[in-house]
Amino acid sequence: MLRYTWKRLLTGLLALFVLVCVTFFLVRLMPGSPFQRGAVSEQVVEAIEQEYGLDRPLTEQFAVYLGNLLRGDLGVSYEDPGTRVTDIIARTWPVTATLGILVLAAAILVGTALGILMAVSRRKAVREVISAGGMLAAGIPSFAAAILLLLVFSVRLKWFPASGLLSPAHYVLPVTALALYPTAVIARMTGNTLAAEMEKEYVLFARAKGLGTGRIIFTHALKNAWRPVLNYVGPASAYLLTGSFVVESIFTIPGMGREFVGSITNRDYTLIMGLTVFMGTVVILVNLITDLLGAYLDPASRRAYRRADR
Amino acid sequence: MRETVCQFIRKDRQAAAGCIILGVWILLAVLVPLFWPFSYSEQNAQIQNQSMSLVHWFGTDKFGRDLFARVWFGAGISLLIGMTSALLNGVIGILYGAVSGYLGRGTDLVMMRIADVVCSIPSMLYVILLTLVMGAGVKSMILGLCVAGWADMARITRGEIIRLKGTDFACAARMEGISPVRILFRHLLPNAAGPVLVNLIFLIPQGIFTEAFLSFLGVGIPAPAASLGTIIQEARSQMLLYPYQMVCPLLVLCVMMLALNMIGTALEKKVKA
Amino acid sequence: MSVLEVRNLNVQYHTEQAICQAVRGVSFSVEKGEIAGIVGESGSGKSTAMRAVMGLLKSNARVTADEIRVSGESPRPGRNIAMIFQDSLSCLNPSVRIGRQIAETVRVREGCTWREAKKRALELLDLVGIRQPRIRMRQYPFELSGGMRQRVVSAIALACRPDLIIADEPTTALDAAVQAQILLLLRRIVRETGTSLLLVSHDLGVIASMCGSVYVMHSGEIVESGCAEDIFYAPREEYTRKLLESAAGKVPDMRRSRSKGRNRTNAGEDGNRNESADGRARTGEEKILVSLENVTREYDSHEGVRDISLTLEEGETYALVGESGSGKTTLARILSGILKPDGGSVLYRGREAAERERTGKIQMVFQDPAASLNPCLTAGQTLEEALRAADKSGEGRETIKKKSSHEKRQIWREKASVMLEQVGLSEEDMGKYPGSFSGGQRQRIAIARALINGPELLICDEALSSLDAVTGSRILELLLRFQRERGISILFISHDLHTVRQVSSRVGVLYGGRLVESGRTKEVCSDPWHPYTRQLLEAVPEADPVRARKIRASHVQEQDRGEKKAGRGCPFAGQCGYAMDCCFEETPGNYSFGGRMVSCFLYSQEHSGRRGEGYTMTSQI
Repeated sequence: MLRYTWKRLLTGLLALFVLVCVTFFLVRLMPGSPFQRGAVSEQVVEAIEQEYGLDRPLTEQFAVYLGNLLRGDLGVSYEDPGTRVTDIIARTWPVTATLGILVLAAAILVGTALGILMAVSRRKAVREVISAGGMLAAGIPSFAAAILLLLVFSVRLKWFPASGLLSPAHYVLPVTALALYPTAVIARMTGNTLAAEMEKEYVLFARAKGLGTGRIIFTHALKNAWRPVLNYVGPASAYLLTGSFVVESIFTIPGMGREFVGSITNRDYTLIMGLTVFMGTVVILVNLITDLLGAYLDPASRRAYRRADR
Repeated sequence: MRETVCQFIRKDRQAAAGCIILGVWILLAVLVPLFWPFSYSEQNAQIQNQSMSLVHWFGTDKFGRDLFARVWFGAGISLLIGMTSALLNGVIGILYGAVSGYLGRGTDLVMMRIADVVCSIPSMLYVILLTLVMGAGVKSMILGLCVAGWADMARITRGEIIRLKGTDFACAARMEGISPVRILFRHLLPNAAGPVLVNLIFLIPQGIFTEAFLSFLGVGIPAPAASLGTIIQEARSQMLLYPYQMVCPLLVLCVMMLALNMIGTALEKKVKA
Repeated sequence: MSVLEVRNLNVQYHTEQAICQAVRGVSFSVEKGEIAGIVGESGSGKSTAMRAVMGLLKSNARVTADEIRVSGESPRPGRNIAMIFQDSLSCLNPSVRIGRQIAETVRVREGCTWREAKKRALELLDLVGIRQPRIRMRQYPFELSGGMRQRVVSAIALACRPDLIIADEPTTALDAAVQAQILLLLRRIVRETGTSLLLVSHDLGVIASMCGSVYVMHSGEIVESGCAEDIFYAPREEYTRKLLESAAGKVPDMRRSRSKGRNRTNAGEDGNRNESADGRARTGEEKILVSLENVTREYDSHEGVRDISLTLEEGETYALVGESGSGKTTLARILSGILKPDGGSVLYRGREAAERERTGKIQMVFQDPAASLNPCLTAGQTLEEALRAADKSGEGRETIKKKSSHEKRQIWREKASVMLEQVGLSEEDMGKYPGSFSGGQRQRIAIARALINGPELLICDEALSSLDAVTGSRILELLLRFQRERGISILFISHDLHTVRQVSSRVGVLYGGRLVESGRTKEVCSDPWHPYTRQLLEAVPEADPVRARKIRASHVQEQDRGEKKAGRGCPFAGQCGYAMDCCFEETPGNYSFGGRMVSCFLYSQEHSGRRGEGYTMTSQI
């Protein structure tokens, strides 16, 4: 396991470096300066650029940026010179992460339950309804779902509040909107893999030794069926943890996605880069964890690693 | 085992329905901009925010533009982006994965590490950064989707090729002295067609999704051109007053996704069986 | 009262296209404490019938029966009836520990606590002859050997405390030696626990060695039933007779006709003159086609081969025998050039040939005809691909080379259709995909593909073992006919000693990646020198109840001593009754005596004493 872990860790670090490079140079290639706005005179812009070191060669800027990065310093927001990028992340990330974890939990629970139902239900109607519902849910973009939910449940019916994240009731609509797609995918994948597992000989043998269907699913089949699903859940959770740009702005949630959208429209270089690097790190980290978890869940590879470690 | 596409569609109701809807959508997206009396960009101050009528089937927006024309023009752009990016990603991914899987060993290791690095960065970021650098437009959108989109396809193809490489018939082909390139393209790749095709179909809605997202964020297609995402975004400010302006493009988008998902799911079932 | 009573069992499969009657009107019964057998070829509906009794068939199967009773009650899986499946790897959950899989069965059956269930599981593992059960409990199925897994499966069946155990092909996936151990275990279980056993197998030898009463099944019906002696010694039905014949290996004896026709191989076939001078004299008059010298290829996990030397002569049939995992397939792949050896050399016609020269000259027929044909190519395309490759590498005839691609294609087509007709298929089959052929037909196409470019050596890697007896013997006939007509050499890899004895002139026995014994087939089979060869020969039950019941299994402590010193010493030492200390420490060399080679310390000078000139070696075991 150790060698594999090191290898994955190294790949992760490399990915992170590439990410930093790509974002840095792409951001610098962006047309327009963050300070070139309206009636600011040329001299003033130059003076500010000098102050931020934007007049020096790109490679030098990059070196400085990398050095700061290693010390955990992501710089100061151009738009709001008083706040550090790290402070912004510290403020917005907990909000986004809470939402993401809730969405993930909902999607995994509901998706797996529906998937099991789809795989083992004897009634054709049940299977068809879940399958059709899944396709429908997978076909609605989350922003569309968010808007429709907002229109129906908040504006018309007034069941749930429309914006902010003050009480548990505030979470219902954004979580539903975001969870729709992953739930559908998890349900479809679990349904497919579980149905395939249920055809296997070990399930037949488990029946022959007198186990009931419920016990077979939960102690035997689900364990094997879920391994491929994990390959989806990993990247999806990374995506959710970095915040949904759109849903956050629709429900006016003070999360990271909204901050990111704002930074792009403001051409706030340091904030764009800081957020990108942070999100990239989270994504890479989560992918790393799921990969290692997947390897650990497979007893064959786990034993192989242990033997190699000795 | 082997069936032509036509037979498959004729047999599978779900696939048939998906294909018909998709066909109608493509037809409308092509024909409406050509033959509809209103253009998607013509503004008319006298007919602002009209509701649905016989003249303007989907009504008009706040600039007095005919929504029916705009929605179908946008659907065309969305489909164009989705399909082109899926096709490009598919071709790149299949070639990359096939070569990586077939050569194996060190080459495979290096190539897959590169793919790992590329796709560990969320593709949304690429698209956003690229549209900011190159300016918004269909081209930069497709390019952004293609930076990382091929990695999944490459991984699937690679897995299939590695599996097929070990089969007895691949051994037999090597023993006969058939050249590696021919073995790869004539003997192995056709056998990988199933899973690869399924993934290819699912790449289309993914592309459309991302495009709609970004247009909705305002970093997508520049005005006056429109995609479904931008039309929905424009209608958002008045969604309480004129909900139809948002519901119409939304419905068109959802049905399009549904059709694509139906085809994909049916194909997936077929491949698994 | 009988333990199992089945009357008039019918099973129908409903598919979209048609209704298929898999089992029709089958009745059988098993007495208390008895071992009954059901024998039939694959596809005869025996497994379906058993699953119908267990109630394990899927919803597309309709089961009707006048009566299915287990000890007077209806069958309840895991309570009064249990089952042992063929493939122990796929019927154990790969990601759940062995201990848990046994204990949960106990828990469901007895309704006891986990602690008690674990204790009982340990007892059960001990009962089925697994050593160190505490360690095994914590292992996963893939970490155990096939024999041990089948023991675990038996333990799970026993955990149900059933009145009847149905064993569906319990030893088919195992090797002869392990098979004998498992059969003995099943017999002991019946004796000690008093359950009844219903043994289902396609192998008449297995049935003969175990069963008191026997049912013969054919295409969904029971064609004959009675006590074992009646069935085997005095079969009434034509079908039973045919089965017995093919089990006894009544393949038309090709060796004789061949040596008559070509008079080039096996001069000593009928036991005449130059038998003593065999080895060297033959190499003079025969041309050596391929020789392996100290070929080694190691893997960390699966089968490798170590230090193997052997020669193949033109036009001869050489057989390789050994259990699965002994390195047979690896050796075949090295010979064919697909794999490169780590050490040693492969000489083709006396020199180290480049791969390019060898391609096309050595062809292979694989075990599984479903996997060896490309599902995306039609039969005709498969053959044309082979012809195109031969054309490209310049081995095709000169006349074809000059022609345009269109003409070439025409010629290929004709050649392909001629070839298909030669293997017993028609021209219409050219356009069909492998999916629409039966197993036997696919194997014919595979043979056609292997032979179309006129190879000099044909490797048959278990080419018959996935086919049923009748189809298998037809394919064998076809192969031998081609050998007779074209004078190609055949390397015949098999675990089936009957067939090997019938077709080959020389044989090599592989164990643990090493060639432990080789020599002329007749001698090796009638007078084995290496302890392993002897075990292999003795472990195969014959289709003869009186003789088969005497099957002996060697030491049951499978893989115990051997495991500790893996990589060193004789691979067989752990299971060998003659093992000396040196067998665990050093690897025995290859000791040659005339045409006979054996790799065992019993035949070495150092360990069995110095010999005088002209000493004639005899079997030491």
